[in-house]
Amino acid sequence: MLKKKWQKFFILIVSITFIFGSSSAFAEDMIHIGALNDMTGATSDVGKDYALGLSEAIHYVNDMGGINGKKVKLYQFDYGYRIPEALTKYKLFKRLDCKAILGWGTGDTEALSPTVTRDKIPFVSASYSGHLASADKTPYNLFSGTDYSSNARATLTAWFDIKWKNHPDFGKRKPRLTCSYMSSSPYCSAPIKAIKDQAEILGFEIGNDQSVSLFAIDTKSQILAMKKFKPDVIWHGNTTMSVAATIKDAYAMGLGATHLINVWGFDKNLIKLAGASANGTMGATVCAFLGEENIPLMDKVLEYANKYNPGIPIEKRLIRTVQAWGNVMVLWEAMKRADKAGDLSGESILKNGFETLENFEVGLGISPVTYTATDHRPGKTITVYEINDGKFQLVQKVDLAKRWSDKWDSWLGW
Amino acid sequence: MSTTFLPCGIYHQEYAKEHAWWQTPFIKGKMILLLIILFFIIPFFADSYGLSLCNQISYTILGAIGVQLLIGFCGQITLGHAAFLAVGAYTSALLILEFPWPAFMLDWGLAYPVSIIVAALMAGIWSVAFGLSSARVKGFYLILTTMAAQFIIVDFIITQYVSQIGGRGQAFSIPPETIKIGPIIIDSDLKVYFMMLFFVIICTAVLANLVRSKVGRAWIAIRDNDISADVMGINVIKYKLIAFFVAGCIGGIAGSCWISNLAAISPEHFPWSWSLWLVGVILIGGVGSIHGTIFGSIFMVLVMEGLQLLVIPLADIYPKLLMDFLFIKEAAFGLAICIFMIFQPYGLSYRWQQLKNYFNLWPFSY
Repeated sequence: MLKKKWQKFFILIVSITFIFGSSSAFAEDMIHIGALNDMTGATSDVGKDYALGLSEAIHYVNDMGGINGKKVKLYQFDYGYRIPEALTKYKLFKRLDCKAILGWGTGDTEALSPTVTRDKIPFVSASYSGHLASADKTPYNLFSGTDYSSNARATLTAWFDIKWKNHPDFGKRKPRLTCSYMSSSPYCSAPIKAIKDQAEILGFEIGNDQSVSLFAIDTKSQILAMKKFKPDVIWHGNTTMSVAATIKDAYAMGLGATHLINVWGFDKNLIKLAGASANGTMGATVCAFLGEENIPLMDKVLEYANKYNPGIPIEKRLIRTVQAWGNVMVLWEAMKRADKAGDLSGESILKNGFETLENFEVGLGISPVTYTATDHRPGKTITVYEINDGKFQLVQKVDLAKRWSDKWDSWLGW
Repeated sequence: MSTTFLPCGIYHQEYAKEHAWWQTPFIKGKMILLLIILFFIIPFFADSYGLSLCNQISYTILGAIGVQLLIGFCGQITLGHAAFLAVGAYTSALLILEFPWPAFMLDWGLAYPVSIIVAALMAGIWSVAFGLSSARVKGFYLILTTMAAQFIIVDFIITQYVSQIGGRGQAFSIPPETIKIGPIIIDSDLKVYFMMLFFVIICTAVLANLVRSKVGRAWIAIRDNDISADVMGINVIKYKLIAFFVAGCIGGIAGSCWISNLAAISPEHFPWSWSLWLVGVILIGGVGSIHGTIFGSIFMVLVMEGLQLLVIPLADIYPKLLMDFLFIKEAAFGLAICIFMIFQPYGLSYRWQQLKNYFNLWPFSY
């Protein structure tokens, strides 16, 4: 008797699932987009907010008429930063006929890159790895922000231009740089070659790298090793949580260096987690901070965050939401252009969409975006901020292409 | 554990027949049907997604077989098996990309097959190195020493040194058309499927044969009581190390095969949690059972993925369900282990045997 009751209940649940589910999932005139997110894995400290931003941005796209009248359906999966999981999810997106994919980490984006190229599916990821910007090698990998390598070069340059001149040892010796990052993570290690190259160009002395896990909560042994070298600047390649742990330990142990931080480690949570030790840290951002005033489209970002995720107060939301919006806005524009050209295939989204964007103003404080048939680095001007008294202050806008015009082209794919 | 009964009226009169794999024409028929399904039906009816699931199952089986050997047959608890998969993957990748192969080896597509053999041996040797501690310690202490394999091999040696070879940075890229077996370039899910299926069959057959040999009996004796085994004259250390070597070799083959599915490898592909996952696979499948390893792998991949497919239609009503699916999946994994430990401690293989016995004894089952 009990068994029969359970059977009936199970059949009811499955029926409801399929009746409700199939109604819009397979509706015509829906354009499917897949999204891979990390909400539980090694990079979930920044991944959760990014995932929320993606879904809110897609709501905005649909409210604005979708892609020339066709609504967008987002299939959003958490893959927990596990690469085998990402590979299977990618195949699932293909089965679901997704026209484009909004990806996440450098490891899985690089692992999927040749497959994406073969399948001709635009893969707009949150990995701004410079390796993915070469249109020859990875034509279908795209992103809206300036790449990690350019960001690292720009941040080091800004420190060199502004801070080093005021240092008591200026003119007496070379400045010293050390890199602190999780060396097993492709995201963390992506800009290391570039920043060391930039350090050589600017005349730095380079110390040994320190490996700090993305999960690190105690980094005293690494700080002790750094102390022997006495660095003036430390490049942090990790995400916010472990960067905060490192700069707190550095502060407590009196290391006395300036901290330069990669994009995914430089946000409001750093100030909360690191407190006073965050003062003076510098980092490049790919867009404006959430809630910054006089930034085009920022009002919509806030409005949709309040509307769709009212349970999470705006004060707790991060710049990651804005980064997600940036990627969605660029993809939206490219898909609209491709659809207008009458072909919404992956190849058309790339050729008639992305590669027709020239100095396209996304808003959100993102540098005007340009993709060419050879170069998928979207921007050349990098905005460098500094944390002072718990607030982000603009330090400098570094135009790498203008300053090193002879080298800029050769830096593609670094 | 129950044994499998033969169908009514069938008795063996020879020892060899009793230990044969396929003991009756009916079993032969079933196995031929299984081979037809594996080689002809699945590959030609499954789409890219289906094949990728099959490849993930094969990868899980190859990884878990070694764990099954160590835990299920030899009683040596391991929580560092992902490291040996990493050794296999990196050895194979390095050999393909960096070794100065004679031109004819590359032309004839022999580099990758040879790299698989070397990768298996390398992983086997590393596994023995970490298995040496089993001569002195067991139980919880052995768990810790096997876990050290992850930290020493993956986090230290591979991350700090091996990944730097060739100046590629951390993501060790494997260019398209690099992986060739003879004239066949392994560049599609279908080709990876056949390759992995081949290795799953070979490794399963090797282990099944070893288990019913002198070596296997020694392993089982050590598992059941190592002191008694020693008293009986079994060289306990030698057989433990053989178990670690064979398990490492199979792990190396798994890692080596896995790179054919990827365009780049990095240490992130081999997290410690994967070792834990493999232990979960054999717990659910059935400890001490080869087909338990296969059932466990199928269960862990297909049931989790099936849950996901069930969630997709529901996402229209509860959009957050899709995004929060991994929480559900992780919870399902934990729950499955708890349920199996309580209600089915011998795993899926025991349930399978009961099912077979029911039909073998039908209509006189009791």
